[in-house]
This record gives sequence, C-alpha cells and structure tokens, in this order.
Amino acid sequence: MAFCDLRPVRASDDKTGATYIIGDVFAVYNLGSPFPVVYSWDMVKTVAITRKDMTFSFVGAKKNYCITNKMFNSVDDLLRAIALIECRQKTYGFDYQHEKRLLPMKSLYHECYSMKDTYVGEGVLDEAETAAALIVLLDFKLVKFLWLVAILVTLVVFGVLNYAIGMTRENILYFILISIASGGILALIVYIATHAFARARVKSFSDSDIASKENITFVVSREGFAVCESCVYQNRDLVAWAEADYFVESDKMFIIFKGKLPLAYIPKKAFPKKHIGGVGDIISLSLEQK
Amino acid sequence: MSVEIKSDTIDVKGQKITLVSVRGGEEGIGTFTMGANARDGGMASLTKILYVGAEPVVSMICPNGGNKRSDKLMSLCQGFHGYDRKIYDALAVSFTRLNQGDSLTAGLRGIFSLLPDGVYTVYTSDYYPTDGNGAFFWGGYNTMHEVRGTAEVNNAYASGNVFKPCFLIPTQSLDYYSARGFNNALETVGSRLIQGIAYHVSGFHSALLKGHHGSVACVRANVPYKCAVIEKISDPYTERYAPVQSVKNESEDGTAEEQVEEQHIEPQIIEHEGITGFRSPSVKIPIELFPKDMLNIIISSLHEYKPQHFDVITAKLEAVRKKAVTNSVLPLDVLENSEQMPDTGMVESAYAISGLSDEELNCLLAGDVEYNGRVIVSPNFYASIVTACNYLQFTDLKRFVDFSIAIMDNPELSATHEYVAQRVMSQEKNAKLYTFFKSVVESGDMKYEKIINYANTFVERYAKKDRR
Repeated sequence: MAFCDLRPVRASDDKTGATYIIGDVFAVYNLGSPFPVVYSWDMVKTVAITRKDMTFSFVGAKKNYCITNKMFNSVDDLLRAIALIECRQKTYGFDYQHEKRLLPMKSLYHECYSMKDTYVGEGVLDEAETAAALIVLLDFKLVKFLWLVAILVTLVVFGVLNYAIGMTRENILYFILISIASGGILALIVYIATHAFARARVKSFSDSDIASKENITFVVSREGFAVCESCVYQNRDLVAWAEADYFVESDKMFIIFKGKLPLAYIPKKAFPKKHIGGVGDIISLSLEQK
Repeated sequence: MSVEIKSDTIDVKGQKITLVSVRGGEEGIGTFTMGANARDGGMASLTKILYVGAEPVVSMICPNGGNKRSDKLMSLCQGFHGYDRKIYDALAVSFTRLNQGDSLTAGLRGIFSLLPDGVYTVYTSDYYPTDGNGAFFWGGYNTMHEVRGTAEVNNAYASGNVFKPCFLIPTQSLDYYSARGFNNALETVGSRLIQGIAYHVSGFHSALLKGHHGSVACVRANVPYKCAVIEKISDPYTERYAPVQSVKNESEDGTAEEQVEEQHIEPQIIEHEGITGFRSPSVKIPIELFPKDMLNIIISSLHEYKPQHFDVITAKLEAVRKKAVTNSVLPLDVLENSEQMPDTGMVESAYAISGLSDEELNCLLAGDVEYNGRVIVSPNFYASIVTACNYLQFTDLKRFVDFSIAIMDNPELSATHEYVAQRVMSQEKNAKLYTFFKSVVESGDMKYEKIINYANTFVERYAKKDRR
C-alpha cells in the first residue's frame, strides 16, 4: 500500500468534545465515555469529502461522523487524512465520494522501491499556467472546428442575405464581406467561450482541491510519476505509467491524460532547467504524445 | 527521546495476559514494507523486510498485492552479525536474565526498548525448530521459496481462533553455526528455563533472536524448545458467535428436561458498535480490557513503519551474503528429527477442527463427508481426508497410522492414496506401516499402483535403519 508510513491524524471537535483519530483504524473518543468507539476500515460503508468536511458512515453504526476541516490542527493534517482515506479505499473498496481533483487520487499510487532515473521537482501548481496549458490544448483541438464553424456560418449568412434581399452586381461584394465577417465573429465568440470555459474549469478544479494551494512534489521516473502534496509525499510512491493514456506538452508544462480527463499537470519550472530534457524523455518513452 | 516501557497484566476470560507498551522505541528490531519492485515479482507483490539493527535479516515477498491470505516467499538476507553491540548485548543480557528466573517483562526489558512503538504481549511457548515444512529452520531459508504457514490470515485465523505460532525463522545465517557452540549448548540446555527468544513475524512463524545453537542442542537432546515470545497486538477483530439455543425436551419419565444444544446458526455480529478489540495470533483482547494508555498507543501508532535507518538497511539488500552456501553442517540426527516434527498442515488442521470421533473417521473411510447430518470436516472429500490426516498426525499418532493404512488399503479412495502415502513417509520407524508397505511391495496388486514407489522407499529406509 502506498503512503503506508503516514502517521495517524487527530481531529478535535471543540463543540462536542469528541476526538477523532484516522489511522490504521478510525477511532472516536466521545466526551465522558471511558473507551473509544473503534472501527476498522472494512467496516466503512461510505466516506464523502466536500470542500468543508468529511463524513464517515460505518456498517452497524448508530450515526455518521462528520469531521469539518476546521477540526484538524493544520491543512497538512487534513491532506494527510485525505491521503489515508484514499489509500484505504483502494484496499477495502468502500464507497468514496469526493469533489473534483487537480492532483491524482492517492488510490492510484503504489509504493515502489527501485526508482531508476528519477527526477524530483517541487513547487506550487500555478492556476494561470495550468489554464494556459489547457487552452493551448483546446486551441489544438478547436482549430478545425473553428474553421468549419466560420465557413458554415459564412455560407449560411450568404444564403440568408441572398434569399432575403436578393443578390445583385452592386451588393455582392457587401454580401461576401458581411458573410465572412459573421463567420469570423461567431468563430471568435466560440473561441472566447471555450477559453472562458477552460479557465473556469481549471479554477473550479483548483477551488475544489485544497491541495492546489499547497506545495507540490513532482516526480518523474521510469516506474511512474507522482504529483503529490509535499507534506504527504514519502519519496517512494508513484502512479504507474499504465494508469495514464497519453500526454500533451505545452511550452510550460506536461499534461498527462487518462481518457479525456487530465490526470496530472507537471510544470516544467518545477525542475531544474538541465533536467527538463530528461523529464520529457522519460514521459515520451512511457506515454504516447498527442 | 527516551524509551517509555510500561507493562501490565490483564485477565481475559480467566487467562492472564501480559501486555507491554513501547513508546519512543529505538526501532532496532522489526519489520517494514518496502513496496513493489519489478524484479521481485512485479508491481502486484509487496516486499517486506525483517531487520535487526541496521542489517536486513529476512526478505519476504508478499504476493497478490500483499494479500493477507497468501503465503510469503522468504529468503535470508545478510542476517544479524552482532556488529551492533547494543543489540547483541541486549539479547545476551535478556537471555541470561530469563534463565536466572527473571519475569518475562523484566528479563526482556532491554529487547522491548529496541522495538518500534506499539503494544506487545509476551509469553512462553514450545516451538518446533523447523520451517514448518519438515526442514530444520537454521539454513532452511537460504533460497527464496514459498513458506507454507506464513500467511497472516489462515484457516485458524479465519475461524476466529487464537493460535500460538510454533515455527522459526533464523536471524543468523548458518555460517555462524559451530560444533563448539553446539557442544556448549548441549551441556546447558537441560538446565535452562528458556531456550530462546522469538519475535513473531507472520502467521505461524517467528524470528529467533537468540538461542540458535540451543535449538540444535534441544533437538539432539530431545528437550522441548521453550521460547519467550514477543507478539505485537495491532489487528482489529470483530467478535462473531453462533448463538446457543436452549431446547426443552421431554425425557422418558415425562418430566421436562432442559437441554442445551449447540446449534450452528449463521454467525452474527454481536451488539457492539465498532470493532470488539485488538488481537495478535495468540491473544484477543476486547477494547474495554485494555489499559487506557496502551489502547491509545495502539490507535495512534502504525502496525509497522519504516525505521529511521531505512535507507541504510535497504542499501545492504543488494549485497549478496559472502558465503551463500555455508560449509557448516548440522548433525544428521538433528535434521532427521526435524522431519518427524509436526508441520504447518498438521498444526493448521489441529486448530481448524476440534476433534474427530472413530465413527466420523469410519464415515470418511466409507466415502461420506457427513455424519448424523453434519459435515465432519469439509463438504469436499479430498479436503476432509487431508485435514483429518493432518489432525490425527498432530494429536494421535496411533490413530493416524491406522487411518492412513485403512485409506491406502481402500481402492475406492485412490484419489487420496498419494497424499496419505506422502504424509506417512515421515514415520520411518513405525513397524505397522513397515508391515503394510512390505505387503504392498510383495503383493504387486494394481490397487496400490499410486503408492508403490512410496512403499519401496519406505521399506528400504526402514531396513537401513534396522541394520543400523
């Protein structure tokens, strides 16, 4: 199991006086109760994590346990708790509901002790850079579509003008100009809208993942890659290349995809300049580039 | 930070259990998970290491992603050389103190300070100094192989039983065996209170920290190999039970007579929110019986974790032992006696079933798996024979021999002949088996075709022993 050395995390509810410990087991120390109620992970039915709290429901439990983010001593503790839950979810297969994630889930990682040709970088995932990288990708995908839209709109507008007004030798030049301008404007609107959508998407991912504001460790190795909060990362956990399908390279980052969704963003600036070539080589040897 | 060691004795259903908690332990002896490596069976298997000091002792490959029901592949790494004087001295002092009559908690205090944080139970138990598969344990792990009985969850565990681990893994390589050490041990084993100190590793297997030469001497001198055993308590368990139903029956004279019959109804989880308690192989302790501070340690620490000197240990893993094949030779009679000792199959079967009556054995011989409407061992006939043989071999050798001969003599049970013949091969000195196998060899009957080779070997060996 990956992240197996993460120490148990403690959270305290000041209102009820209850203390929760998330580790090898889930324990609840209720105020006034001489012994804790302890659940093993195979008793977990569901864990739901939202932006504000996490809720645990257990088989045979009288109530669900809700731990708000404020109950943790620090953001690091909260991130460690999420990592512990995701790793256990992989082992025990309970239902896990969560917000959108900017970083790969911890359940995708496995511990690996022979990491050859490993490049390690660190930094914060910049929202603007991530959005820009996605936009480059969108531009690549949109270019044919935008041409098609422009030509179609041009033809349709030309047709409509001809049907409504009727084409004469005097107005044909205006018709052509108006049609081309309409096609161009509509294509521009589509272009701006998709860019806005891409930015909003990255922002929504970023807002919903607490980790996006934290310092991130980036690892690229022959065995796999890692994009993980530095406070959680343990130097030996990797996502195997087999978990990803292809990658896209922009001038500022590598974006690794699984299906149509981005799995990990690896900014080039996280690595020393002399290593970027090596990082690119490993990624391109491991995945197909699109 | 100094090591904080606390001990306590609790009563669980009339059984006194000694608990020792360690906080701030020096992480000198323990196990840790290394993760996956393509070289060691791909990403689907995990590698675990047992270490003593900065030296890797045993490498364990846990197949199927570390599935607890899978037996592990084990091999000895460099082994403990005793270079770390602190550990070496702690082991020697503890061994001496235990043999001077100190209590387990007092005698093993030096070793407890070397363990990772957690709660441990300590007790004494007789061990079979074998690998659980008929080979003497010292030198039995030179090459990587699957060791039966090392699964963390086995038949005994699965049925919720507690069991005492009884097989050994060495922490020193066989290079350290010396005839002088053996002779010294031979003189003292008769007067020792404790013959060895063992640390539980996995399933039925414990690592022998101290007492390697003593184990050889004990087998030679036919002295029980009594060890002080340290087990970590960390596995959560949920108690299940089969409710006992009270049935009122009318007796012959017409008076109402209450009879309690055990009925095997589908097990139910008892009314206890969360888990019932924590366990190790040999003890199950409900949460309510733990001292509070010890319970806190179990909950707020990890089952196993990497020690601070993890990188030093792993760097040594690549090194090959200087003498992968040792010139040291254990006494032949010790090796032969080891083959006669109970193996994992026998011990597992002994924990898996509570008993077998003669009527039940007769049913099995007749090819039935049920007696009086109840499954005797298993609905699978072959599994029933295997378990019954193992159980009898462990508990009652005479019945085992009789049962085995009856099976091998029955041509309708030919599917089980080969397995049974294999099992009885260890009973080389048994005259009844010799007579049977001799008749098999002489008769040349086709019904014995599956066991004829075994019969020949048995007769030859018996004749050789007889001549000696």
